[in-house]
Amino acid sequence: MAMNYNAKDEVDGGPPCAPGGTAKTRRPDNTAFKQQRLPAWQPILTAGTVLPIFFIIGLIFIPIGIGIFVTSNNIREIEIDYTGTEPSSPCNKCLSPDVTPCICTINFTLEKSFEGNVFMYYGLSNFYQNHRRYVKSRDDSQLNGDSSALLNPSKECEPYRRNEDKPIAPCGAIANSMFNDTLELFLIGNDSYPVPITLKKKGIAWWTDKNVKFRNPPGGDNLEERFKGTTKPVNWLNPVYVLDSDPDNNGFINEDFIVWMRTAALPTFRKLYRLIERKSDLHPTLPAGRYSLNITYNYPVHYFDGRKRMILSTISWMGGKNPFLGIAYIAVGSISFLLGVVLLVINHKYRNSSNTADITI
Amino acid sequence: PDCSRLILLSFPQCAGEENWVDSRTIYVGHREPPPGAEAYIPQRYPDNRIVSSKYTFWNFIPKNLFEQFRRVANFYFLIIFLVQLIIDTPTSPVTSGLPLFFVITVTAIKQGYEDWLRHKADNAMNQCPVHFIQHGKLVRKQSRKLRVGDIVMVKEDETFPCDLIFLSSNRGDGTCHVTTASLDGESSHKTHYAVQDTKGFHTEEDIGGLHATIESGASGSLETDFMPLGSENLLLRGATLKNTEKIFGVAIYTGMETKMALNYQSKSQKRSAVEKSMNAFLIVYLCILISKALINTVLKYVWQSEPFRDEPWYNQKTESERQRNLFLRAFTDFLAFMVLFNYIIPVSMYVTVEMQKFLGSYFITWDEDMFDEETGEGPLVNTSDLNEELGQVEYIFTDKTGTLTENNMEFKECCIEGHVYVPHVICNGQVLPESSGIDMIDSSPSVNGREREELFFRALCLCHTVQVKDNDSVDGPRKSPDGGTSCVYISSSPDEVALVEGVQRLGFTYLRLKDSYMELLNRENHVERYVHLALRWKRQVLCVLPQFIRARVERNAVEGLRTLCVAYKRLIQEEYEGICKLLQAAKVALQDREKKLAEAYEQIEKDLILLGATAVEDRLQEKAADTIEALQKAGIKVWVLTGDKMETAAATCYACKLFRRNTQLLELTTKRIEEQSLHDVLFELSKTVLRHSGSLTRDNFSGLSADMQDYGLIIDGAALSLIMKPREDGSSSNYRELFLEICRSCSAVLCCRMAPLQKAQIVKLIKFSKEHPITLAVGDGANDVSMILEAHVGIGVIGKEGRQAARNSDYAIPKFKHLKKMLLVHGHFYYIRISELVQYFFYKNVCFIFPQFLYQFFCGFSQQTLYDTAYLTLYNISFTSLPILLYSLMEQHIGIDVLKRDPTLYRDVAKNALLRWRVFIYWTLLGLFDALVFFFGAYFMFENTTVTSNGQIFGNWTFGTLVFTVMVFTVTLKLALDTHYWTWINHFVIWGSLLFYVVFSLLWGGVIWPFLNYQRMYYVFIQMLSSGPAWLAIVLLVTISLLPDVLKKVLCRQLWPTATERVQNGCAQPRDRDSEFTPLASLQSPGYQSTCPSAAWYSSRSQQVTLAAWKGKVSVEPPPALSGSRHHCSSSPSHSCPGSRVQLLV
Repeated sequence: MAMNYNAKDEVDGGPPCAPGGTAKTRRPDNTAFKQQRLPAWQPILTAGTVLPIFFIIGLIFIPIGIGIFVTSNNIREIEIDYTGTEPSSPCNKCLSPDVTPCICTINFTLEKSFEGNVFMYYGLSNFYQNHRRYVKSRDDSQLNGDSSALLNPSKECEPYRRNEDKPIAPCGAIANSMFNDTLELFLIGNDSYPVPITLKKKGIAWWTDKNVKFRNPPGGDNLEERFKGTTKPVNWLNPVYVLDSDPDNNGFINEDFIVWMRTAALPTFRKLYRLIERKSDLHPTLPAGRYSLNITYNYPVHYFDGRKRMILSTISWMGGKNPFLGIAYIAVGSISFLLGVVLLVINHKYRNSSNTADITI
Repeated sequence: PDCSRLILLSFPQCAGEENWVDSRTIYVGHREPPPGAEAYIPQRYPDNRIVSSKYTFWNFIPKNLFEQFRRVANFYFLIIFLVQLIIDTPTSPVTSGLPLFFVITVTAIKQGYEDWLRHKADNAMNQCPVHFIQHGKLVRKQSRKLRVGDIVMVKEDETFPCDLIFLSSNRGDGTCHVTTASLDGESSHKTHYAVQDTKGFHTEEDIGGLHATIESGASGSLETDFMPLGSENLLLRGATLKNTEKIFGVAIYTGMETKMALNYQSKSQKRSAVEKSMNAFLIVYLCILISKALINTVLKYVWQSEPFRDEPWYNQKTESERQRNLFLRAFTDFLAFMVLFNYIIPVSMYVTVEMQKFLGSYFITWDEDMFDEETGEGPLVNTSDLNEELGQVEYIFTDKTGTLTENNMEFKECCIEGHVYVPHVICNGQVLPESSGIDMIDSSPSVNGREREELFFRALCLCHTVQVKDNDSVDGPRKSPDGGTSCVYISSSPDEVALVEGVQRLGFTYLRLKDSYMELLNRENHVERYVHLALRWKRQVLCVLPQFIRARVERNAVEGLRTLCVAYKRLIQEEYEGICKLLQAAKVALQDREKKLAEAYEQIEKDLILLGATAVEDRLQEKAADTIEALQKAGIKVWVLTGDKMETAAATCYACKLFRRNTQLLELTTKRIEEQSLHDVLFELSKTVLRHSGSLTRDNFSGLSADMQDYGLIIDGAALSLIMKPREDGSSSNYRELFLEICRSCSAVLCCRMAPLQKAQIVKLIKFSKEHPITLAVGDGANDVSMILEAHVGIGVIGKEGRQAARNSDYAIPKFKHLKKMLLVHGHFYYIRISELVQYFFYKNVCFIFPQFLYQFFCGFSQQTLYDTAYLTLYNISFTSLPILLYSLMEQHIGIDVLKRDPTLYRDVAKNALLRWRVFIYWTLLGLFDALVFFFGAYFMFENTTVTSNGQIFGNWTFGTLVFTVMVFTVTLKLALDTHYWTWINHFVIWGSLLFYVVFSLLWGGVIWPFLNYQRMYYVFIQMLSSGPAWLAIVLLVTISLLPDVLKKVLCRQLWPTATERVQNGCAQPRDRDSEFTPLASLQSPGYQSTCPSAAWYSSRSQQVTLAAWKGKVSVEPPPALSGSRHHCSSSPSHSCPGSRVQLLV
């Protein structure tokens, strides 16, 4: 912490040839700043000033909390676990790797109809997408269409960087472990044959990701040509340029891929899979009734005690079903209100006692 | 003159300057000794280059880096940085390398600049031309080429280029006048004497032909043909020649061996209590850091014990990782965790603390209230390390003369043979108009009495070291009151000036010293001339005083006047010659010189005839009493340490309200110890004190309540040394403890007749007593330097005794009264500010790092960072740095005026109150709580749901950004809650840095940065803000985090308010600032307004008065003794032994 003004000291400690006291007046400036007298607002947190704030917080937070809570409760959500670890589950057969491709069907019933747009998620548990080794195992330059990075991926992608002397595109553990179950939804009406529900693939990824952050490598019209010299990730069945038939949703800009590449914060997460758009105001998007979920079971999670879910959810302005925020708002509002009351009492008592104390002093 | 004569000179080693004088043989003019002399071994001496710089151009970078990394903190950060470079760590090396680089660079630039200034000063000094004598001719050379043995010519007003032995001057008597203003600030002229044997060499040729050898050092050169040299023959580098046309001298010490260069040696560094607690907290945090890393490492391996967790199919390791040794892997993991959490001890804290101290100290120098109009001096800050220590002072040790008193002597009265003469108000040469002449209490003295009277006046008029300046060009001209001759008296002793001026008022005017004759103008306007005898000494003599004078002296002493008795002795020619011989013999003695001198004086000073006594008043400094009272109210114990005698000192203490009327004085003086044994006295005193304090423990906290018995202790130097002296049986601490016990119970202690070293000893005794209180020493003279250096905080009063004290102090103030604002306002503020700064820094980094720690539990202990690299790097550097820095510069929890008006508020921060462990733990727990709120708030928000209205999902970076945003807002608003003084700067910085965070985040996420190899933050912040629940969560979490702190503040203020908080509550309404000083101004002595401005035209005072008294082996009490002085050869750079006190009139 040595910050002495030694230099100054020593310089005038030994004046050179010309001696003599330089008796200059060092009168300081009389500015408000230098005299520490800048005009200032001097608030003090006393019970008196804080009391109204507590009440105001209470009065604002409780209604907000109630609003959020009600909104959250109005959201319809259904979760179907299709991991298949229970022997009774239709997907149990798919646990063994021998059955390929394995398709299983799970039936479920919606008690109430889902109004408005419905969002279809897949959820994974115990899947550490936020593991450091996993999070950094990607090459954003490659995904952004950089041709040099395409052929020479970043070292961070190890050990998913090269395969059989060819660079992997997309490289890295994240891309390699992309979720590859296929989910299909059917409404089993009164008719004998199930009606497929239209699942929209587009609009599930962030707009900026799809249009800016992720880009296919430059080149001609043929996507395969652009990925020339690369090989598919080890675990993938098909190369990246056959992810979808729609050229706008193929290669690196495939939305399923983009969604997967946004690593989740927690080991239990869900990712948007498909949109079910509302057709008309008159009919609910998903009327109450029996449905069946067709799963092409490719993605093994039982090796690491993981679970797989399919979630159908409606959305409000504040997102999916989440009672936490509403409850927290109500709780904080009430606590704050209560504290306000307590403080009021204390303040009242104290004022009396302090007055008497002042007199005795 | 006989040029070929060999002159042998010896220069003795002065006690206490061992490091300066080594043994050396110098051949003047480089003439080798004649053949036949003993073996000639040429000695090598450094050239005359002065090097005060630390670095050269070449070694700057390595040496500076080495110096910087010797500091533990820097080294720690360097290690972290290296670890990041070597192993695969979660954060990039940039995150810690950049701040470290910044810190190191800034410090290096600052030190480099300072060193460049030093180089410039050195060069200017080393290159200035010097006149040499070479082979009888005058040559000009650069100063740095000067070598030991060279003969140098110095002209008037030039500075001596090195330490010289004074060979001759162009003045007939072989003297020269020297001022040491640039060495110690004493602007008075001191007379130095040429070596007797060489003073006849006047021309270059003469001097060039000189053969002489100088032996110096302790090597016991007992050969009789050596001519002894003393400090009066020595001219020190840095001093300036005055009133003498030119002198010749031979260089004996050059370059870095000169006394001035040796005095450069830096003082030991003082560390403040805050810094000590900061270091303690740092160690705690280091332990937390290590344990966090350890816990995580252990948990990681427990968790990973199942292979599907360590290496699931989707997240395989590379081959090299797999093959790494388990222990190596574990160790690497541990280091990686360390790196991940290392931000808990932030680099920026050191930078901020240093900046705060450095910039903050400017407020002291800028303070207009501490600027002294008369001297044109403002406060000086010599170190900024101790700003906050000013708010922690528990003991003040103050010098009396010049510190409490003005050291502005005023001749009050004299008393001759029963008549008292009172010259009307004379104050340092200026007379108030209404007063004139002498006011005699008892007029019509007898003829005999008249003779005595004139003798007395003549004695006063002649026996002094006062010099007369004819022109007015001396700093601060002071005309003699007669107006006719405009002569100004200068002396190293203000007492002497006062006496001479007083006598002038009584009719005898000292005119000048001319050709060994002293001239004075007597009452009849005749000029009398007296032979000036170079016999000057001062002694303390024991004698019996006649009844009247004794009573008078005693009375005056009790009133706080400095008394002096004048006596004479008639000598006939033979006697005088005998004395001269005796003295000369003693002076040239090589061994026991001082002792022999003392014996000689003893012999002369017999059978003196008493003439009368004088009384000189040393005024109290303006507002000294008010200051002391305020300091005592602030709970500070004030000790006065003085060399003065007890009565004078005690009177001053009463005058400045150190002792009050109801103070019960306890005496621990030599006199009492002579009557009883030390043991008994100590036990008796402690019994008295403890009996009382025991019954009063209940209302101890009420401090100086009216019914509490006040004790004041008086102790003198001799008694103190008895207490300090280790006893034979080794139980030395026994008395000390007892003494300390007594001292603790006394509100004021007066130590009189103290030697400078004893002053330091006392300070040390208190400093290392078991409570380890913070001590502050304040003094103005060279004799206070030791205690100033010893105390935790040393304050120099920029006084008339030169700048020695101010130069060695940590802070220098123009007047004692400024101490009040210095401690009560600045000290208090700095303490509040820095304690908040330290605690806040730890708090905000707990908030910062603890979520990362928690996140490890959810990411498989993989050291995944929660925040982006940019956030990690900039959190401490830019998002949260400026608000706390500006807070720590601007904060005023109470107004300046209130602090000045109510000194008791100082007690609220005493004993490091704001950095106690309890407070520290509170802050840390608050940080933990907030971190839990941030993390789990965001956790429950994100857990298994979506928070956008388009159903899209956020990833881990959004999660971290949400936590980070809440944190930045909480931490900044927490500071806003603590700010009591909102200037526009605070508003600007607090809201500005929040705005900066938002703008930065928008920008950082708004662009694909081509230089980054990842784009993980792309649009993350903007996407987060597009989600309603994120906004709601930010508001909610910030509220929850701040709520407990607000609640705690309000409740504490309401239920257990401190004095400060009470005052804050009371003065919430605006107050009138202008009225602050009026009540105090009326307190000061009515005489103050009418006194003349005290011009500091003699800026020095010899050690005569303060140093003189303590030398006495014989302790004297006033009735049978008279205050006087004892011969004293000071080892201070002034080298003067001024002042005969006992007069010899021939």
